[in-house]
Amino acid sequence: MNCETCQLKELVVEPPEIREVLRSILHTILFHRALGLVRPKDVECELFDIIYVQCEDHELEKKIDEKINQFIGWVEKHPNRKSQVCISFYEVKNKHATWFGNKIERFYWEQWYINLHIVSPKPHGKSHNTKAHVVTGENAFEESNSRCAALGSSLREVLLQIINFVNEKKDHIPPLQNSEIVSFPYEISTPSSSDSSFGWHADVLKRMLQTGHPSMLS
Amino acid sequence: MATSPSHSSPESAIIEQVITEFFAKSLHIILESRSPYVSSRNYSVDQFMSSPSSSCSSSSSMPRDKWFNLALRDCPAALENFDIWRKSNLDPLVIDIVLIRRPLVPDVARPLGGCLLRNFSGNRDLALEPKSWKIVERWIVQYERHKSSSSKNHKEIRKCGTKNNGGSSCSSETAFYKKTYERYIILFRSLYVLIRLLPMYKLFRELNSSGQICPLSLSHRISSSIQPFTQEDEAKMNQFTFVPIDTPRGRLSLSVQYLRTLEDIRSEPSAPLSLQFILDYVGSPTTDPFRRLKSLPSARSSPALVSFTRQHSWSNDHGALASVSHCPSVACSEARGIRCNPSLCLPPLTHHNDHSPPVISESQNAAVTHKNNMSFDEFWPSPFSPTSSPSSPAHLPGQRSPNALQSVFSFPIEIIILSYVINNISVLYRSGSSQIDIAKACPNTASQTQAYSSEGKQQIKMDTLRCGNYRTGLTLVKGFPSGKDDTEKLAELPSSSTQRPRSRSSSGLSLLDKFDDCGFPCPFADYKDVTESCNRRSPDAVIGAVVRMLTTAAPLRQGLSDLCRPSQVFMDESLNPCVQHDQDNTEQSECRASTSEILASVLLKSKTAAEGLEELRRYKEMKESILKRGASRSSDVDSGPKVCRQ
Repeated sequence: MNCETCQLKELVVEPPEIREVLRSILHTILFHRALGLVRPKDVECELFDIIYVQCEDHELEKKIDEKINQFIGWVEKHPNRKSQVCISFYEVKNKHATWFGNKIERFYWEQWYINLHIVSPKPHGKSHNTKAHVVTGENAFEESNSRCAALGSSLREVLLQIINFVNEKKDHIPPLQNSEIVSFPYEISTPSSSDSSFGWHADVLKRMLQTGHPSMLS
Repeated sequence: MATSPSHSSPESAIIEQVITEFFAKSLHIILESRSPYVSSRNYSVDQFMSSPSSSCSSSSSMPRDKWFNLALRDCPAALENFDIWRKSNLDPLVIDIVLIRRPLVPDVARPLGGCLLRNFSGNRDLALEPKSWKIVERWIVQYERHKSSSSKNHKEIRKCGTKNNGGSSCSSETAFYKKTYERYIILFRSLYVLIRLLPMYKLFRELNSSGQICPLSLSHRISSSIQPFTQEDEAKMNQFTFVPIDTPRGRLSLSVQYLRTLEDIRSEPSAPLSLQFILDYVGSPTTDPFRRLKSLPSARSSPALVSFTRQHSWSNDHGALASVSHCPSVACSEARGIRCNPSLCLPPLTHHNDHSPPVISESQNAAVTHKNNMSFDEFWPSPFSPTSSPSSPAHLPGQRSPNALQSVFSFPIEIIILSYVINNISVLYRSGSSQIDIAKACPNTASQTQAYSSEGKQQIKMDTLRCGNYRTGLTLVKGFPSGKDDTEKLAELPSSSTQRPRSRSSSGLSLLDKFDDCGFPCPFADYKDVTESCNRRSPDAVIGAVVRMLTTAAPLRQGLSDLCRPSQVFMDESLNPCVQHDQDNTEQSECRASTSEILASVLLKSKTAAEGLEELRRYKEMKESILKRGASRSSDVDSGPKVCRQ
């Protein structure tokens, strides 16, 4: 079985925008992989001119929010970095006990990498002159507006990228085995908050040790 | 059920059914997000306006929901007859989403007896002027049967069998069907998401939420033949094609052609007015009508900030300042207020009256539409149409501010009523006009509002929703430096929109009680933030009324005109158009209306003569009796705590 990988277009985001960006992307991906009977729910972004769809499933929502919070916590400690959030879908298969000790093996069949470049908001120039302050504030506001519009547009592109990927790659999806809303087990990986730079790689390494490299699975 | 004549085995029947359901589901998803909710089944505004799909019949899934594991909102009317209408799965299903610019005068000659699912293959069937409609999206669902006995699919079936169950023919076919079905599910997920990312969805939502205040409406036509676009039209369109899904005997495909941008359509002067306007009218932290943000440079130079410059419905220069529409009110305004996309800005509205259709005729139009609630008019999506247009605003007793009323003529009725009432309060504040004016105004507006709303409940729900949206906007607005006090007050307010305003003036006079007693049914009247902003001024307004009463006595009037001149420092003439319009009337009366301190000084200066004292005593007695009456009525009517006193 192939493990298909989708690298989503990098988005340059400021910390306050992370939550909404990640929510929209993760929910869109999961909506496409939640193949059980789903009642879709429209969600209108507060920051962007975008409406995305999510499954009406409290547990799913909770899990996503937890992971996002975890990621935001990491970002607070490590500002101004490029980082990735990965959502992986896998199948669980029983395996005979080996000296490695694992009886259950995960076969990853799809991985989505959400690439974010976190930047700090530009500080506004200090001025005691009221008029100058108003002008500066106005410029900053316009700049912030246009930046936000650009991000909204990029986010839309990312959502379309998801649709395109889903539309083109279908053969690798395992057959449905249950009638749950989220049909396949999945995990959302964020850079570890405990480990600054090694965390992400450690996480990948750990998974590789556990399951083998995606390319080895095919 | 549409069937294909050439197959009769149970297996074929299943395949045919899946294909039929594929068509039906596609149509359902598309119409659900493009056609206003006109189902003949469980119609409910709640269902429509909250999350479109989430709130529908959550307890009981419709049988069709189970198809492709996608539970949708109750189906649009078109779908109800779909099975009957479809003759063969081999015919393509072409769904054109049509944006219609509705005529200002209802076209009585328009055929009304058509069927929603009739084949609108010719333009004449729409019975519209050629330039009054435009196809903005074209969805094509198609089933193509393989000419040869699809060896590819047989290979696929065998592959499935080998993979899963060791290759028995039956299980391999089952596995193939399962896999194919899974692909359908995924395709519909994608369709559902994509349809919400296309430009038309935004407009669809706006048209639904804005009622029928603009002449634009969305419709659709369904046919089985493809009318080619002109080259010019085609050049403006993008195409998205879903990867076709193979069935055992053919393939199912789905594609859409859509207008890349709706700029040219939306930038028409009569584009729908969005909540951006409403933000400026009520409840915004900057909505205190007695303050102006002069520090802001200009609305034109800073489109993003225009929503924070105050635009009042009673402002005479409304038209000039209507550059509020600079802000992408249509494109990105839904309850956001701050985040605007400059690239989607609309050109300025010069004046609402110049471009908006006469509301009365619009209302008549709506009435006709509603009256003839037959199939063809269902083709015109207007679930909320009649409720938002004032049928007879001319009957409002707006002698003092006819222009102010006129300037909001094209806005939803709730705004008109609100602005009218605020106008009256404002005028009263300045001129000490008769209480009877408001008392008269209220029943009128009340009855009118009731008259508009044959679906009054829905209207209220609609408005509640708008309020909800607008409140969302408020939270964003909070961060702005202006209007901090108001924001805090708003934040303190309970969220219930059904409570009547609790706050009373400290004097408890009956002016606002009259206002309440008239049973003012305007939905906005329920919004505490609005009413409180009115009530905040009530003591002065009440005192103004008392002053007017006192000053009718000849001995006390002397010297008043001199005394009241300093009171003008409390006023900002530019804020209220009534001053400009009724300059003659208000110049003097403005002086009279002022704070209680001025009243006290006036009275003190007039108490020099013994006769004056005696007369004053009588008037004081009168005042006290009015106060008592007001207080007792207030305690009867309002059992809640007094929230705001100023």
